Amino acid sequence: MPGGPETPRFARHPVPARAGIGLRAPHHTALVRDRPAIGWIEAHTENYFHDGGPAVRALDRARELYPLSLHGVGLGLGSADPLDREHLRRVREAVRRFEPALVSEHACWAHVDGQHFNDLLPLPHTEEAVEHLAARIRDVQDFLGRQLLIENLSAYVGYAASQLREGEFLAAVAERAGCGLLLDVNNAYVNAANLGLDVARFFADLPATAVQEIHLAGHSRRAVAGHELLIDDHGSAVPDAVWALYAQALRHFGAVPTLIEWDNAVPPLEVLVAEAHKADAILHQVHDVAA
Amino acid sequence: MSLPEATHSLAGLQREFARALQSRPGSAPGVPAFSVTRQAAAAAGLDVYRNNTRQFFWTALELTYPVVRRRVGDEYFRMLAEEYRGVHPSRRGDLHWAGVAFPAWLTGRLAGTEYAWLGELARLEWLCEESMAARREPALSVQCLASVPADRVDGLQLRLQPSLRSMASRYPVWSVWQANQGDGDAAPVDLTRGPEHCACACLDERVTVYRLEAGQARLLEALAGGAALGRAVELAGVDASTLAALLGWAFGEQLIVDVSPSVQA
Repeated sequence: MPGGPETPRFARHPVPARAGIGLRAPHHTALVRDRPAIGWIEAHTENYFHDGGPAVRALDRARELYPLSLHGVGLGLGSADPLDREHLRRVREAVRRFEPALVSEHACWAHVDGQHFNDLLPLPHTEEAVEHLAARIRDVQDFLGRQLLIENLSAYVGYAASQLREGEFLAAVAERAGCGLLLDVNNAYVNAANLGLDVARFFADLPATAVQEIHLAGHSRRAVAGHELLIDDHGSAVPDAVWALYAQALRHFGAVPTLIEWDNAVPPLEVLVAEAHKADAILHQVHDVAA
Repeated sequence: MSLPEATHSLAGLQREFARALQSRPGSAPGVPAFSVTRQAAAAAGLDVYRNNTRQFFWTALELTYPVVRRRVGDEYFRMLAEEYRGVHPSRRGDLHWAGVAFPAWLTGRLAGTEYAWLGELARLEWLCEESMAARREPALSVQCLASVPADRVDGLQLRLQPSLRSMASRYPVWSVWQANQGDGDAAPVDLTRGPEHCACACLDERVTVYRLEAGQARLLEALAGGAALGRAVELAGVDASTLAALLGWAFGEQLIVDVSPSVQA
């Protein structure tokens, strides 16, 4: 019989092509108590690095009820600095403990010369960055013993040094690393507004079969240093324009598990669940149209 | 069509970006030459990142040190947090541990001022943070000692819950912490009233902070260090009644997880 006690049972509960919600601390109790009808949950890996404590126990309970995805925000995979092996070891511990069906990180850098900025900083879309990021992802995948999904960023500056379109960059990374992609539709919308990303071209550049998860979130419009920017702050409902782009993404990439992210000014659980149900409705509508 | 040549190495771009993040908004090196967006837009974009990195760090400290923050107010706390960040920038991708050096730094920063006690309060809050991250083990009942012959009790070693922490302070930090747990105005605490000893543990959804007598605190420290009961009593300089009181509290709060040599529970 395959899979003894030493073999992690990955994907014990596969993530379905439905909408899920990001699990945040204010909802730990309500989620387990109310057991809302959502397809799956996603947790930030770094919030569950501990040996124990209330958060870890809450995720232990929640993963018994819902398929789980672990979404990392701290590896800074594209950093030119060496990979933080201690951080990676903790990711592996979390993966072994919680047995998520999906594990994801970002196409970003975060630390240089030993200093960590704890943010998702943009990479130049260069051949060097493709090779570097792909090598890091291969290293992480080998260490974890499983595939990563890599998420496109929202960005507020671009690089003159970039040689590739963002979609071409991610496609090349996915091909060379053998990783999947996590498409954040809100990030694409924000980049279109801030940096002039051509979203249709972006979708067309991505290898459709590599996109295994979609993120949806809200953003805000803010005047910063006299310039108006869209800020990917995950602090409000998904706006209409992002819902529309989501429908386009579903037509392009098929029925993909979709997550509602809401990290700031976190609303009551039922608000998140309603957003997930809205995503489910669009998912089913588009799927029927496509069929 | 030929692709534009990459003129900067990845490491070089990241260092340039980092320098821009660390510069003051609007200062000359604040807008990196590599930005493809207009200068004004690039300055705005860098402000977003600059604000994020600062805000995320502050938030991590605010979550770890809510009582210190409450005592000094938001504005002063953020000033302290930013000063601390300059001395102890984040070195890890997990901001949870960004505040590990804050108590010692704060103690040095405020030495000789009327806020000299804040470092001690921060130390208690850091111990609470450690408690929140520790695993919980099944606890033993005091009944496990019932079958131990009297002449073997002194040789018993106790293993304590991994989340149990203790500290001694020159200041009444337990009283300050306790007075600042509700939503209303904190009751005033006489900061000159002398030392307090406390312990904390997390066995359910919250950390519980206990006040201990000085002898109990010394005894707990000796037990946590691995001393057998008899030796711990000697080290702590306490009598049998203090031992009985401490054991009654520790078993009652489910803080004892193992006794060796093993006894029947």
